[in-house]
Amino acid sequence: MLAFEGVDVSIAGVQILRGVSFEVSAAQTVALIGRNGAGKTTTLRTIMGFTEVSGKIRFQDRDLGAMAPAKRPGLGIGYAPEDRRLFSAFSVEENILMPGEVAGFSEQALKAGLERVYDILPELKEMRARPAGMVSGGQGKMVALGRALMIGSQLIMLDEPFQGLAPALARRYADALRDLRDRDREVTLIITESNPALLRRFADHAFVIERGEVRPGSLDSEKDVA
Amino acid sequence: MNAQLFALAMFDGIAYAALVFMVAVGLTLIFGVLRILNVAHGSFYAIGAYTAASIGGAIFAAGFSPWLAFPLLFVAAALVGILLGGPIERLLLRRIYAKEDALQLLVTFAVFMILEDVQRLVWGVQPYFEATALQQLGNLEVLGVFYTKYQLIFLPIVAVIVLIGLRLFLRRTLSGKLILAVTEDRETATAMGIDADKVYLLTFIVGAALAGFGGALASATTSVVPGMGADMIVLSFAVVATAGLGQIEGAAVTALLIGLGRSFAVYLMPELEVLIPYLIMLLVLLVRPEGLFGAVRTRKI
Repeated sequence: MLAFEGVDVSIAGVQILRGVSFEVSAAQTVALIGRNGAGKTTTLRTIMGFTEVSGKIRFQDRDLGAMAPAKRPGLGIGYAPEDRRLFSAFSVEENILMPGEVAGFSEQALKAGLERVYDILPELKEMRARPAGMVSGGQGKMVALGRALMIGSQLIMLDEPFQGLAPALARRYADALRDLRDRDREVTLIITESNPALLRRFADHAFVIERGEVRPGSLDSEKDVA
Repeated sequence: MNAQLFALAMFDGIAYAALVFMVAVGLTLIFGVLRILNVAHGSFYAIGAYTAASIGGAIFAAGFSPWLAFPLLFVAAALVGILLGGPIERLLLRRIYAKEDALQLLVTFAVFMILEDVQRLVWGVQPYFEATALQQLGNLEVLGVFYTKYQLIFLPIVAVIVLIGLRLFLRRTLSGKLILAVTEDRETATAMGIDADKVYLLTFIVGAALAGFGGALASATTSVVPGMGADMIVLSFAVVATAGLGQIEGAAVTALLIGLGRSFAVYLMPELEVLIPYLIMLLVLLVRPEGLFGAVRTRKI
């Protein structure tokens, strides 16, 4: 459903991705493993359209590269950036609703989407009215996941979701992902992580990214990232 | 200072603050979203004034109701926002968002200079008087002072309505929410599907229309002359900087502070009239470099 074909990306004159080619099939959970600075975030930002790209990116047989960045979420792509990036001017619930409202969801679709988010992440319901600027870092990660779930009917991309989470919260987050996977077998998940152990027994496939190059990897051989 | 002089200074200050606020709030809104300090904002104010005065003059001479002066304020604001603000953002500013601040400032300064000459070409250098709106509302006696209802009641009420309306627009409507989202984080807003280019255009039109509205409101209280845009842009810069860039409520409070400071200076120390607004700005920025209402924020790269 998603394919990179010989993708090069440079940011401010520095080449970050080098001839990256890989393919993700629909309904899979894919881990993208790599150290800090290897290019994980750049890969996700490239899918969202925030980088200058040479090479081809296909999404469900569309040329994603030719599509304006603001149009891409409308394809059903939800994205939770690493550092949460919530809109502090709005409440938790307004943040979650935002991508659905922008995509022009009907009242019913918004309500159904919100219910799905609260089913998977009940803790968000309790803090729905809280200003998003007032939630803790870990809670913010949950909100960012909820916001990605709102629009991500096809593909959900999570950038280092476990980064900086306390162990209990990390476990809770992983449970929520498993719950999501159980409810929705069709959606494709791409999760970046520097520690492969966290995604073991969870991801179907792994790619390793090293110095801007992507190759198939395995979550069992931790030395892949050392 | 006796009670009458005090009242006069108060009323002058409040009426003037209402006008300054209208211009400053547009300036701060545009800066908050586009991160551009728009010098041409002063021209929008002046052209709003010229538009209201010249259209007003023509329709009242043709015998239309003088009450049309009030809807005309909105027409002038919309004309400035859509015919002037829209194309400037679309054709010019859009090309320079990625450039350094100094260049952006120079480009908007160039637009300001061009528009100054355009005003002279279109309206000449003779002052325009068109006080129909002011005359329609009549006068009022307060604390032994006769003052126009237009300046004492109408202008402050309009300013408060704009302040509340803008707040509601930003918090309660989807367009407003999109503006706030893009202001806070353009990339994440785009990842939510928000077309930031459209939001920039909308913001610039709204901001320019507010300046045009301020000019149209001012045209009833003063003669419309070349150079009025330059005076206003400098003063509203002072208001915006004192309040903290991007602060809407802050701009209201600061406009009042600077408006009152200036009008009291007129009665107490006339030689300091021009100096007072900048003195206030200087004192505030010495103590709080981020402005009265600005928050210290580290910008992420």
